[in-house]
Amino acid sequence: CSRLHTKPSISPTLLLSNMYQRPDMITPGVDAQGQPIDPKTMQEHFEDFYEDLFEELRKYGEIESLNVCDNLADHMVGNVYVQFREEEHAANALKNLTGRYYAGRPIIIDFSPVTDFREATCR
Amino acid sequence: RSRSKSKRISGFDMAPPAAMIPNATASAAAAAAVAGQMPGTTPTIPGMFTNMF
Repeated sequence: CSRLHTKPSISPTLLLSNMYQRPDMITPGVDAQGQPIDPKTMQEHFEDFYEDLFEELRKYGEIESLNVCDNLADHMVGNVYVQFREEEHAANALKNLTGRYYAGRPIIIDFSPVTDFREATCR
Repeated sequence: RSRSKSKRISGFDMAPPAAMIPNATASAAAAAAVAGQMPGTTPTIPGMFTNMF
């Protein structure tokens, strides 16, 4: 992958780059203090994130699809893809989320060309 | 999972710690003003470039 991804000027889908950070992002299965993380804790951490995200995004329109990349390396790490029913809803979400923070980190948001997640791959 | 557990505060609009913002001694309003122009807007992702080549 060249990492030169196209950014459409309008799309029903938004990309929130590197938004999800796994608790074991430094070493798999281990937290920042070197303590093993219970898989249940990991799952809850993910669900809390997903819920925060869903609750915020639904304010801007009807959500068709919400995908979170729960990976550690080395590409698209923690990327969130949200597809709205309508392009205008995505545009509204983009406008409202730009310049805001999530968990102390800036939200990096753009339109994404992906409209079918079954077909979506990064080459 | 029960709804009752989700009384946590959302991570949205949780600003970075003051130490991360240049001129942290400035007022909160000033800090908010510079927040959009932080030099470190690209988060550091450990391991992100390990397999780049």
